[in-house]
Amino acid sequence: MSARIRRRTTACLTALTFAFLLPPTATAADTTSTIGWVRLAHLSPDTPPVDVYLYPYGGTTAQLTLKHVAYGTLSPYESLAPGDYLVAMRAAGDAATADPVISTQVDVTAGRAYTVAGLGTASALTLKVLSDNLDTPPGKVSVRIIEASLHNPTASVDAGGETLATGLRFPDVTAYQTLDPGVGAVRVSTQAGDKTAQLDFAAGSTYTLAVLDGAGGSPQILDLSDATGTSVLPKGGVNTGFGGTAAQPTGAPTQPAGPTTQQGRGSVVPAGWGVLLIAAVVAVLFGLSRQRRK
Amino acid sequence: MSWKPKHARPWSWFGRRRPAGKIGTIAVVLAAVAGAGLWVLSHHGTAGRASAAVTIEASPSSPSAPASAPSSSATPSAAVKPVSVDIPAINVHTTLQMLGLDSTGALEAPTNLTQAGWYTGGPVPGQDGPAVIAGHVDSFRGPAVFFNLKALKQGDAVTIGLSDGRRVTFHVMTVQNYPKDAFPTTDVYGARPDPELRLITCGGAFAAGHYLDNVVVYAALAST
Repeated sequence: MSARIRRRTTACLTALTFAFLLPPTATAADTTSTIGWVRLAHLSPDTPPVDVYLYPYGGTTAQLTLKHVAYGTLSPYESLAPGDYLVAMRAAGDAATADPVISTQVDVTAGRAYTVAGLGTASALTLKVLSDNLDTPPGKVSVRIIEASLHNPTASVDAGGETLATGLRFPDVTAYQTLDPGVGAVRVSTQAGDKTAQLDFAAGSTYTLAVLDGAGGSPQILDLSDATGTSVLPKGGVNTGFGGTAAQPTGAPTQPAGPTTQQGRGSVVPAGWGVLLIAAVVAVLFGLSRQRRK
Repeated sequence: MSWKPKHARPWSWFGRRRPAGKIGTIAVVLAAVAGAGLWVLSHHGTAGRASAAVTIEASPSSPSAPASAPSSSATPSAAVKPVSVDIPAINVHTTLQMLGLDSTGALEAPTNLTQAGWYTGGPVPGQDGPAVIAGHVDSFRGPAVFFNLKALKQGDAVTIGLSDGRRVTFHVMTVQNYPKDAFPTTDVYGARPDPELRLITCGGAFAAGHYLDNVVVYAALAST
């Protein structure tokens, strides 16, 4: 191999190495999840019911169709492969080929959750992609508020005496705020009056509260679980091994390691070949015996 | 009753027509050996995946019939617990013990080497959030219940039996290896909007009586 070729090979390898080191896109690959989650919401008070369609981006066949979704309705989370999707809302009962009332693109990243919500008034309807929180500080809960009441366009919300939002205006969405877990009274205050609900917030979980138009113009509270976690987080990892199959047990405790049972691939695969060999011998013998009879 | 089509009497080919043939007898014996061998192989998955021949059967206690529990019909789902784990890809079939936290706040390891354990402080498998099941990789002498956990691949099925008789199937998303001193608590125990499952065992180098790493399998509810 000439020096020139070698140099060129090295250059190629270097380039390849860097190509692998540098991810093609900015989003880092999630190492714990191969799916993302999307839920669909109708939170526009004066918009009639809609049919909601979710398409893989560029596709014409809907992956998910929700019929007759009325104001105040949220779908369960749908698990999706990462990638771009299109969410379209059509008037309830319209053909799937009809022009949508509104549509938007949602870029689903693995390990992330989104709420695609129709917000605002019918005349100024927007389809917003909200990023939903999965994480919360250990032992705490995270809560956000969506102001989706047209009758009560300004609201304040407190939970257990702690203020979550003051003067929240339709159709605002707050950031997540950290609260202590437990059962508590959540109060929505508006000009038309107050509404209180007893809600149970579990540690390690995240929630969305929506303020909706209730009966008689009073506000209504819709509480939604976004993500459910672990109330008490165990510290660190787990000690689930004694070293009996470790390659080189060093400093194994008092018990002798004994003859480690070597049952790895190395021994099973030859066993497989042995069985095949025997099967072949049987086949040959069988063939011979048949021929002899004839 | 007396009607027997020819093809339904395979033994007659060996028994009657060649009763004393030496080669025939050898062939029968070899075939039996080969058959047994193939059965063993097929019950340990494909050659590439099947590593150690660990077959851990469920202990005979019947988990589905807790005799003492009076049926509280009011909220039957509240008391539901996971009772078994089946992972056909690595031939794991085990019952479950309940795991809490030890005095240091760490997750207890199962007391039984051939049985996995469910962390009672997390969600029940099938409910939203990350349900956690841990099992030993080995004993002092040889493989334990989760010895082959690291051989799981994306898409492999993990089925959890519940105390109310239901079964919930998850599919493996990814298998990760972490140093214990950098255990990703948030990734493993953090909130999820869907029902998920984590299987944990030990891995990596063994030093001073402990494995240095944890192997974590991340699985999501199989789409229905």
